[in-house]
This record gives sequence, C-alpha cells and structure tokens, in this order.
Amino acid sequence: METDIVVIGAGPSGIQAAIYAARRKVSTVIVGKPSNSAAADAHIENYFGVVGPVKGIDLLGNGIKQATAFGAEFVEENVISAERDGKLFIVKTETGKEYTAKSVIVATGISRVKLGIPGEKEFIGKGVSYCSVCDCNFYKGKTVAVIGDETEAAMSADLMTKYATQVYWMTKDPKAAKALVDRALLAGVVMRDSPPKEIKGDGKVGALVLEDGSEIAVDGIFIELGAKSAADLVMDMDLMPEMDDTIKVDAKYATKVPGLFACGDVVGKPWQVARAVGQGCMAGLSAADYVKGAK
Amino acid sequence: MVAELNESTFDSFIDGNKKALIDCWAPWCGPCRRMGPIIEEIAAEAKDFAVAKLNTDDNQSIAVRFKINAIPTLLVFKDGVLVQTLVGLRPKDDILRIMSGI
Repeated sequence: METDIVVIGAGPSGIQAAIYAARRKVSTVIVGKPSNSAAADAHIENYFGVVGPVKGIDLLGNGIKQATAFGAEFVEENVISAERDGKLFIVKTETGKEYTAKSVIVATGISRVKLGIPGEKEFIGKGVSYCSVCDCNFYKGKTVAVIGDETEAAMSADLMTKYATQVYWMTKDPKAAKALVDRALLAGVVMRDSPPKEIKGDGKVGALVLEDGSEIAVDGIFIELGAKSAADLVMDMDLMPEMDDTIKVDAKYATKVPGLFACGDVVGKPWQVARAVGQGCMAGLSAADYVKGAK
Repeated sequence: MVAELNESTFDSFIDGNKKALIDCWAPWCGPCRRMGPIIEEIAAEAKDFAVAKLNTDDNQSIAVRFKINAIPTLLVFKDGVLVQTLVGLRPKDDILRIMSGI
C-alpha cells in the first residue's frame, strides 16, 4: 500500500506526529503497539493541562482515537523491516503488511535490551548474545534458548532452528503475530513459559535456570526483547545511529537521510512525555512539509 | 581500506606486527556495520599498531580457535599473543585507550 508518511512507534511522540501529519492532509499510517510504549505503564501527573495522575495507556488510547479521527490509519503491529528504495521507503509489519512511503518518522522509543538476571553480564560473548542474526553461525549443532515475548524473539527462534539442533523459546506471553509464532513452532522450536532466573556456566554458558526450579542445558542464550530496535531500523534506511543508539536530528527533527525523521526518546534524554509530544508535533509537521514539497 | 585477513594470512599478520587489532565481523551483523567506520578511522590514525579485519563467516576455524561466539569482537594481540578480547560495539576512544595500554 502507498502512503505519504509511515510513523514507526505508537507512543506519545509517534501519535502526536501522526496527529499533526494527518491534519496537514497527508496520508499517514502509524504502526506500533501503544502497550509497548514506556508511557503505557506510567502514571502521568506532570503533563500540561492534565490533572493527574492519569494512566499512560489511557492517554495513548485517546491519542490513537484523535489520530484516526483526523484520518491517520492505525496498525497495531510491530515493524519488522524498513528500507529505502530510491527516494521511497518500504516498511513491513509482522503480519506481512507492506507500505511504500515518501517519508518515515522513527518514534520507536528506547527498547530494553538487557534482561537483568544473574550471569547475564558475566557471559556476554561467552554464550550470551543480543543479536541472533549476528551470532547464529556460531551455534551450529548446539542447543540454544531465545528469551523474549515479541517479534524479535519469535523471528530469532525461527532463525536459530536453521543452525542449532535444539531451540527453546522462553516466553510466558508471546505477543508477536500469530503467523510468526506458528512459523517458529512449525520449525521445531520448543516453547517454555517459566521465566528465566539465572544463567549458569563454567567459563561459558552451560545452563539456564528457570523460576520453576528446572534447568535447561544450553550452549547459547539469545536475549531478544521487544521489537526491532531503532538502531537496526535506521541502518537499513542508510542512517548510522549514534554510539548510544540514539538518532541524530536537526531542529526540524530531520535526519541526514532525506524524508527520514525521528522524534521522542529515540533522539535522546530527558525521556519525558511533554518533550516527546513537542518533538512529535515538529516531526509530523516537518514530514508533512517534506511530502508536500516532494509532490 | 583496512586489510581483510583470512585463514592463510592471519598468523603471519599477528606474528609480523608487534601490536595488532583485529576486527572480527560478518556482513549481516548490524553492530559490525557500525564498528566498521570506527575501525577504518583507527587504522588511518594508528601509528604503533596494525589493524585488520576478519570475516568470521568465511574463516570459521579462526573464530573457533579464539572462542569467538559473538560479533563484533575485537582481538588484541601483542607479540603474536592474544592479550584482550573485546566483545560488542565499542567507542573509538575506548579502543585507542586499550591499544595504548598494552
């Protein structure tokens, strides 16, 4: 499907960007899961005009209603890839929806990467990995566990079946699209729902200890929390992220790549709803101007 | 351009240079793509150590030999002996500090 703008991320910044873009009468699709926004679980009481505390998820729900009322299309899915095709961008979602856009606004926020369990830090590079695409090749014929509930975990588990002989997927509540989950299961992935508690080993990863007390002997542990990170997304759109995984933007929230904008937590601190919303407004207007200029 | 080592050139490179920094990478690895330009910069500025790259996909025996199971990994050699293994994306300053400290 063709559209003027795709907003990636349905937090305060992305939703505000979609509202402003849609009101400028440019076709706008916002892709993301509000429940995954850092604001979703927050109780907000420092946002102008809102006497709190209010639940973040309620504000996000209202914002989505506003954005769609102004004409934006809301797709409650994760983006699994975004790339450039000449001056255009091709954005694909977890259920296989594909959008060709003149402009992309990256408002993914900052994703949690580390799990924070004992042994995790100790075994980084000794069996603990945060990038299955990078490290799959080192686990041929081995046993691995993939940890995470979302699209990255589902896709990693599926990928690892092509290398490892046994793949466990540690997820209590798989939130990836059913097709991705089914594909992983069909490929032979074994799902376990007890949360990981500790990583054990002797010089290298040997076992994953679960909350229920059981242990799984593994050679590798892939920690793949959340959706595809902003850093990975923008690299595929020809933009190099900063060393701290933030995205550099100018005063119009434009990146160095024409048509590619970014706003919200992903451009840096402080991670505040008010700041994210202001930036979303700017990015939405800038992207709309870009699209109108490009027409 | 930083030299690309392979299984037949690796040993002579680490033995032939007093200090050597090897960037172990693979083409599909996002963090490796970010490390690439940093390594290029370091190589252009390095005065007292040699810099090279090693594709771990094409040279798996070396990856096994140095127990690499995550990339990017930087291997630091002194007098042909492995003295540091740095896993993951690193800023330029960190790498330079480590190289000057060995």
